[in-house]
Amino acid sequence: MTESPRLLEVRDLAVYFKTDEGIVRAVDGVSFDVDRGETLGIVGESGSGKSVTNLAMLGLVPQPPGWVERGAARFRGDDLLKMSERKLCGIRGRRVAMIFQDPMTSLNPFLTIADQMTEMTRLHLGHTRRQALSHAIGMLERVGIASPADRIADYPHQFSGGMRQRVMIAMALSCHPDLLIADEPTTALDVTIQAQILELLQEFQREQDTAIIMITHDLGVIANICHRVNVMYAGKIVEEADVASLFASPRHPYTLGLLSSIPRLDERGAERLTPISGQPPDLANLDNGCSFRARCRYAIERCANEIPELRMVSHGGQAACHVDVAEAAGQEKAHA
Amino acid sequence: MIGFLVRRLGWMIITLWVVFTISFALMRSVPGGPLSSERALEPEIEKNIRARYHLDEPLMKQYLRELGNTLQGDLGYSFKLADFSVNEIIAQGFPISATLGIVALGVALSIGLTAGIVSAIRRQSLIDVTLMSLATVGIALPNFVVAGILIILLVFLWPVFPAAGWGNLSQLVLPGFCLGLPYAAYVARLARTGLLDVLSQDYIRTARAKGLRTPTVILRHALKGAMLPVVSFMGPAIAGILTGSLVVEQIFAIPGLGVHFIQAATQRDYTLAMGLVLLYTTLLYTMNLLVDVSYVYLDPRAKLE
Repeated sequence: MTESPRLLEVRDLAVYFKTDEGIVRAVDGVSFDVDRGETLGIVGESGSGKSVTNLAMLGLVPQPPGWVERGAARFRGDDLLKMSERKLCGIRGRRVAMIFQDPMTSLNPFLTIADQMTEMTRLHLGHTRRQALSHAIGMLERVGIASPADRIADYPHQFSGGMRQRVMIAMALSCHPDLLIADEPTTALDVTIQAQILELLQEFQREQDTAIIMITHDLGVIANICHRVNVMYAGKIVEEADVASLFASPRHPYTLGLLSSIPRLDERGAERLTPISGQPPDLANLDNGCSFRARCRYAIERCANEIPELRMVSHGGQAACHVDVAEAAGQEKAHA
Repeated sequence: MIGFLVRRLGWMIITLWVVFTISFALMRSVPGGPLSSERALEPEIEKNIRARYHLDEPLMKQYLRELGNTLQGDLGYSFKLADFSVNEIIAQGFPISATLGIVALGVALSIGLTAGIVSAIRRQSLIDVTLMSLATVGIALPNFVVAGILIILLVFLWPVFPAAGWGNLSQLVLPGFCLGLPYAAYVARLARTGLLDVLSQDYIRTARAKGLRTPTVILRHALKGAMLPVVSFMGPAIAGILTGSLVVEQIFAIPGLGVHFIQAATQRDYTLAMGLVLLYTTLLYTMNLLVDVSYVYLDPRAKLE
């Protein structure tokens, strides 16, 4: 099993924040792997820790108030969390690149697109100014910006939202990273643009064998491009499976809730959407039970006393639940 | 750009005219006049003087005469400083106040920006708290207290600087520092807030995610945006700083303009007060215009309307 190191191995990562309400366990014991050319989806609602997990790996969690409490994030065998800032700077952007949710605010409004794109390849690939410029123009053309040689001297505000996200992607991929972390890259865009952006990411992935971590709360995006999925809730991974199994037979009540709260075209009949009732827990005041139990229709007494661990389940992945959800749901149907 | 400048110049002339009119009306409507003093003048003499300064004419005629002279660049003779025209007084005092002002400006910007940037980068550290407490003290302490302390320390206890006077470089240091210090404190606070504001922006996270080192992130990505509030503040501040300070110029015996601002008003020196008001208005307007123009160079999103 341990031949060559995997692209990314995250083990027991915990990231805490100090707030007025106490210590918030934003990410608490998260482990997962990513292989070359693979797309891992991380899905969860706001505040579930999906973004923080990835920011922490690159040392981008604002400190203070946040810090990495424990864990490891081995990238090709080297632990990113123990790396010097200097060495980490050589990984960021070069080996692991990120694109963010809001393309309107993620580009620097004071600098031209050329400035922002070329500084990266000049730093990491040692390009001269001229090389960097022609490389950047090539990347812009690749992501579908019309007449890139003219547009590259423009400022971000001269581009539309969708175009800016294309620029972000062109910039992120300009050093041919091994891993691209896409933090809700399509959330701020309208639906037609969303599809184009996802397609673009997949194209690059096929070409360069880039691994992608796709952070989203949109199950549609997950179904579209991911191979495997982590479902996060309250700072923990509650279910992990390949995408087909997860959609076919979710084994955690939260995943089940997520799936039944979105409309599905393949289901006949006007079955009502069932939202997940209640609110996510206060991460500063977690107790010794399952953090989902207050919102869970299958909760049993044991859920209040024992935090469920991830364990292998029948779909081949893992789920963190004391109850066999498939069985419980079946019984519910039988009673009805 | 040219059109913008021409338009703004037009507005400046209108502004100056309005300021002129209001100042004229205000000065003539307050009790007392340039000739009222403790010692009553002989009626004959007073009549002659009033005629000499055209004070015996109807107000409207005085207003038009003064406006006409001002338009030709002649601000008239001072009522109180006999033998001096207002133009001469300004020509003598303004270069001195402006020189002192430029030194103070250097103090304000170099100390203020450094302190502000260091504070923002090391926010909530001991050095941040110390610098910002000093800035608060700097804003709160009146000039004459700072001047007094500096004179005790650097003139009497450890004599490195002359106590007062004007003419050589060493005489510039203490007054320049005193005048610049409160501005340095304001600049420090503005630079800190501005930089902190920018550092929390998404595009700074992007810059860091690209693998840029912290100094590059700050110098190339953050500083330009962080300077906008400082630039806005500096416009009016420069106009104030260049026209001199009564307190600092009095303490260090500097023959600048500061003293005239106060005395012209209290002694009802109509012509001198008018000249100084117009000078200050012109400077203030020009500085604000420069701020607007510099915004276009700092922020590509800004446009001159």
